Amino acid sequence: MNKAQMEMVGLVVIVIMLTLGMLFLAIFAFKEGTEKKVFTREGLAYSSMSAVMKTTIDSSVCEGSFRPKIGQELLEDCAQNHQESPSGFSLYKCNEKHSCVFLQEIIGELLQETLGTWNKRYQFRSTLIRSSTSEPEELLNIVSVKGNCPKTRERDSSGIFPIQVRNAGLIENVLYLCD
Amino acid sequence: MRKVRITTSKGQSHMTETIAILFIFFVLVFFGILFYYKYSQVSLKQEKEELLGKRAIETTLKALFLPELICSNGEAEPEDNCVDMLKVRHANVTFRLHNQTYFDLLSYSKISIYKVYPESEIKEPFVLYDKPKPDWEKKEATYFVLTLRDELQGQDNYGFGYIKVEVYS
Repeated sequence: MNKAQMEMVGLVVIVIMLTLGMLFLAIFAFKEGTEKKVFTREGLAYSSMSAVMKTTIDSSVCEGSFRPKIGQELLEDCAQNHQESPSGFSLYKCNEKHSCVFLQEIIGELLQETLGTWNKRYQFRSTLIRSSTSEPEELLNIVSVKGNCPKTRERDSSGIFPIQVRNAGLIENVLYLCD
Repeated sequence: MRKVRITTSKGQSHMTETIAILFIFFVLVFFGILFYYKYSQVSLKQEKEELLGKRAIETTLKALFLPELICSNGEAEPEDNCVDMLKVRHANVTFRLHNQTYFDLLSYSKISIYKVYPESEIKEPFVLYDKPKPDWEKKEATYFVLTLRDELQGQDNYGFGYIKVEVYS
């Protein structure tokens, strides 16, 4: 290798080093602008799901002045009378609506007023498993205004909240949360 | 005479080369220092944010499990993610009376409970504890969704709300 070639190599090395330096600098300068919010998404998903399941509906809303619990009476009723939805029979009529329709609305509102206002994406799903051989039936699927949380996104789950329903099967409820 | 002129031009080109190399060297050193300065600044800021976030979560967890707020059922296990509104309505008085005890536990922070469902006429949150740091620069808010048990409205009456815990740094 002659002298000119060696100088050329040196120059190339310097240019590469300069480029890398600039690149790192740009990365750090960019990072400075984004505020990293630390919070426990999994804890939030679990607490939201737990709170939704325990919430009781105001007695003035449902026929017969009952105060049904979302995670018990209403979901059970929805599972038992799912085939009659949206306008057929259901034991509980809240706001004069079938329990499945009412649940879809009320859970959507509760989640939108909390997780939605904190700019979180979420997806609430309730599926009914009648038997081990049958296909699961979708009871509720509530998606945030910003969109759902597919498997491809980094998401956290509340874990499955199962409810055993007599003469219907098993309801599996899950809430996914992502940014 | 001719020989001397050739030597001078060669020497000049060598001099220019050396100056160029020194210039590039100093540019590299400058970028190195700038990079290190930026890096240390960013990492320090990140560390501060992480500490604040950690403190926010710790304070939230302490607030969630405070016996002064949590739903209890006699000697049975208390219910998680649930606050008793009967306790909440009087908690700010307790917090104010025993200011130092709660400051040792919750430090500089603000704890508020918001009711979402059933909707009430009073939209204001229940501010249970509010102790801002005198010269605070930043505050970090953490939210947790809760059920609000209110036995004044009847037995087994659970509303829906959330707790907001803000920590100051």
